[in-house]
Amino acid sequence: MAVTFNDTRMRDRIQLVFSLGIFALVALLPAIVRNEYWQGVLIVSMYFAMLAAAWNLLAGYTGQFSLAPAAFGMIGAYVTGLLSYHFNAPPLVGIPAAVVVSAAIGFGLGRIVLRLRGPYLALTTLSFAEICRLVISNSIEITRGDLGLSVPGIFDHRLTWYYVMLGVLVVIQLGLYFLLRAPAGLYLRAIRDDEIAAASRGVKIVLWKTNAFTLSAAISGLAGALYGHFAQFVSPELGLLSQTGIIVSMVVIGGLATLPGPIGGAFLVYVASEFLRDFGGYQLIVFALLVIIFARFFREGLWGFFRRAIERTGRRPAPAPSAAE
Amino acid sequence: MACLSIDSVSKFFGGHKALDDVTFSVNEGELVGLIGPNGSGKTTLLNILSGYLSADSGDIVLDGRPITGLRPEALARLGVLRMFQLTRVFPRMSVLDNLLVTGSALGLPEAEADGRARELIEDLTLTRMMHLDAGQLSGGQRKLLEFGSCFMVPPRIALLDEPFAAVHPTMKEIMAGVIRRRHAAGQTFLLVSHDMPVIVELCPRAICMNAGAVIADEKTRAVLTDPVVIEAYLGEAAA
Amino acid sequence: MLLIDLTVNGLIIGLFYALMAIGLSLIFGILRIVNFAHGEFYMIGAYAYTLIALFFGISPWLTLPCAFIAGMALGWATERLLMRPLYSGYASWGVMKDEYAVIITFALSLLLINLVDKVIGPNGYRGPSLVATTRVEIGPFMASGHRLMAAGIALLVLIAVGLFVRYSYWGRQIQAVAQNRLGASLAGIDTAKASSIVFALSGGLAALAGALLSPIINATPDVGAFPAVKSYVIVVLGGMGSIPGAAVASLILGVLESFGAVYISYGYRDTFGLVILILVLLFRPHGLFGERSREV
Repeated sequence: MAVTFNDTRMRDRIQLVFSLGIFALVALLPAIVRNEYWQGVLIVSMYFAMLAAAWNLLAGYTGQFSLAPAAFGMIGAYVTGLLSYHFNAPPLVGIPAAVVVSAAIGFGLGRIVLRLRGPYLALTTLSFAEICRLVISNSIEITRGDLGLSVPGIFDHRLTWYYVMLGVLVVIQLGLYFLLRAPAGLYLRAIRDDEIAAASRGVKIVLWKTNAFTLSAAISGLAGALYGHFAQFVSPELGLLSQTGIIVSMVVIGGLATLPGPIGGAFLVYVASEFLRDFGGYQLIVFALLVIIFARFFREGLWGFFRRAIERTGRRPAPAPSAAE
Repeated sequence: MACLSIDSVSKFFGGHKALDDVTFSVNEGELVGLIGPNGSGKTTLLNILSGYLSADSGDIVLDGRPITGLRPEALARLGVLRMFQLTRVFPRMSVLDNLLVTGSALGLPEAEADGRARELIEDLTLTRMMHLDAGQLSGGQRKLLEFGSCFMVPPRIALLDEPFAAVHPTMKEIMAGVIRRRHAAGQTFLLVSHDMPVIVELCPRAICMNAGAVIADEKTRAVLTDPVVIEAYLGEAAA
Repeated sequence: MLLIDLTVNGLIIGLFYALMAIGLSLIFGILRIVNFAHGEFYMIGAYAYTLIALFFGISPWLTLPCAFIAGMALGWATERLLMRPLYSGYASWGVMKDEYAVIITFALSLLLINLVDKVIGPNGYRGPSLVATTRVEIGPFMASGHRLMAAGIALLVLIAVGLFVRYSYWGRQIQAVAQNRLGASLAGIDTAKASSIVFALSGGLAALAGALLSPIINATPDVGAFPAVKSYVIVVLGGMGSIPGAAVASLILGVLESFGAVYISYGYRDTFGLVILILVLLFRPHGLFGERSREV
C-alpha cells in the first residue's frame, strides 16, 4: 500500500499526530518559559486556539463562513461574568452555563442563516456579531457597558491555569478529531463542497449545518468563559470585529480546514504579536499582510508546507499519486 | 407494479408553463428513457421528482406512498437518487470519500460502505484515482463518480440526467454497462438522454416530452418513428 | 418645521451614503462579493483630502480630485493584485471563491487601518471646508455652507455615475459583465478591464465621500467602519447589485436615521440598521425593490 494523504481519514490522522506534537511542545514550554508574563501570553494563545479551532470547524470543514466567532467568545465570557457579578455564581456554574447559552444562541443563529450562503452569510453573521456587541456595551444597567465587568479568578497559580487551559484545548482537539473521523466529518465536508449534491445523496443538511453552528458556538463560549476567569475581566472589546480578524488570520496562516492549522496559527500569531509589540507595534500590519499573501499564494497555509515536506520525505514504496497536477 | 407514478404534474415559471399535466408511471424494474428537445421540461421534471422544485399541482407517488413536496435528502433516503446534468461531486474530498458520503448518509455501516465503495470504484475503472480529490478528476471521470454515487445503496429508482453528455466513448460504455447489468438485476431507472442510439439500445420503453407535455409513451422504436415526435424534434416543416 | 429640517438633513446624509453604497453595489454586481475593505477606501479619501490640503496649503477644491484619484488608485490596485484569482481560473475556484473574497477584503481592511494608524497616527484630522459660510438658512432649514456644497457635489457625481453606467461604452460593458460574466467574455468584452474600472470607480466614490465628510467627521484610521456598515445595510436593503436600489435605499436610510436619532434611543441607533439588514436578508433576500432572480 502506498502512503497516501488524500483520504480524509488518513489526512485527519496525520494532522492529529501533528497537533498532538504541538501540544507536547507547549506542555514542555514552561520548563524554559519561567516568566509569568510569557506564560500568560501562552495562555491567551490557547484561548485564541480554541476560538480558531471552533471557527475552523464551521468555516473550514462546513464551509459556513461566519464572521461571528469573537462574538460567541464574548457571549461566553459575559454569561459567566454576569452570573458571578449579579448572583455570585461560582465558575463551576458559570462556565457550564456559558457553554449552554452560547450553544443555544449558536443553534438559533444556525437555524436563521440556513438558507444564506457566501456573501449573504458573511453579512448576516457580521451584523449579528455587531448587534451582540452593541447590545452588551449599551445595556449599561446590566453589563456596566464599556467599563466591563470584573470576574473572579479560579486558580492562584499561573501554571495551574496553563495546564488546565492546555488540557481543555487537547480535549477539544480530540473531540473534533473523533467528530471528523465519524460519518459526521464526511457530511460536514460534503456540505462545504456542494450543498445541493450533499442533499441529493441523502445528507441531512439542516441537521448538520445547525450542529456545526451549535458546536462551534459552544466551544467558543467555553473559551470565552475560561478567558474571562483567567483575565478576571470581561469587556465588549472581546467581540470586536478586529478580534474576528485575528482569529481568521490565525486559521488562514496555520491552514484552513486542517486540524493543526488553527492551533499552530494561534500560537504563532499571538506569540509573535507579543514580540512585535516590543518593536513598535507593527504586529497587525504584519499579520494582515501575511494573511493576504497566504490566502493569495499559499492556500493551505503553513500546514501546506509541512504536508509537502512529509510527502517528500515520507515512506513511498510505490510512486504515490501526486496531490498536485 | 408501479414503482413511481406521476399524476398530472404541472409547473409554471412566471407565465411560462414548464410542465403541462405530465402523467406517466415507471414500473418496478423498468428502464425508461426520457427524451425530448431542449426546453421540453425533462430537467424540470427531474428537479421536481428529486425535491429541488415543488410542483404547482399534481401528485407523485413512490411505492404507493405520496412523496410530493418532500425535501431532496428525504427523497434520497426513500431511494430516489439522481445524477445532475451539470456534474456535482465534492471537489475537495477523495473519490473514495465521495462515495462514502452517500453510503453513510443512506445508513450503511462503515465497513459495508467501504466495501461497496471499493467495488464500485473497480466497476467504474476509477481504481487509480481512488485517493485523488474529485476536483482533480477529468470531466468524464467526475461523471462516472457521480454516476457511481447513485448506486452506493441500490436505489428504488435512479434518475439520470444526461449521463452520457460530453463523455468519452469509453466512459459512456462503462456507464452503459453498469446500467445494463443493474437493469438485468431488477434496478429501476429513468434515463434522460439526447443520445438516441443509447436510448434505443438500453431502454425498452421511452417517453418523449415537448413543451412541457408528454407527447409519446410506448416502445422506444415506436416512439422514435412517431410523427409527432419527429415533428417535435425537427419542426413542422419536416412532418 | 423640525420635520422638514430632519428630512432635508437625512436626504443630505443619504447622498453621502449613496456615494459609498453604489460602489459597493457595483462591486457586488460584477464579482458577487462583498468588499469588506470598502470603509478603508472612504478612510483613504478622507486622509488624502485632509492631509494634502493641510501640508501643501492647497485649496480644498484642488485636493478633492486628489482624494478621488487616491481612492481610484487604491481600488484599481486592490482589483489588480487581489481580485484576479476570483475569475482567472474560474472553474477550479468555485468552492473557495466566497471564502477567498471574505478573507482577502477583511485582511485588507485590517492592513489599511493599521498601516495608517502607524504611519500617520491615531489622532484625528479635521478636513478644510469647501465654503467658508458656517450657516445657511433656507426657510426652516439650516446647514453649514460646506454641507450644502458637499451635498451638491455628491448629487452631481451620483448623476454622472448613473449616466456613465447606463449610457457610456464601458458602463454598458459593466452591466453586461454583471449580468453574465461568462456570456460577456464570450461576446468579446474584456471582463478583467470591466472589473478594474468598477473597482477604481468604487474606490474613487468612497474616497470622495470620505473627503466630503472629513470637515464634519474627523479623519481617523478607523473612520471607515461606520460608513461601511451603513453601506452594507443599504446594499442589502436596495437589493445586492442594484444601483438604483442602492441610491433609493441610501436616501431612505439617511432620513430614517435622522428621525431615529431624535425619536428613538441614541445608544442603540447603530443596531437598528443591522437588524434591518438581517431581516431583509432573511425575508426579502433580493432587497426591497429587487426582483427575484431564479437560479437553477
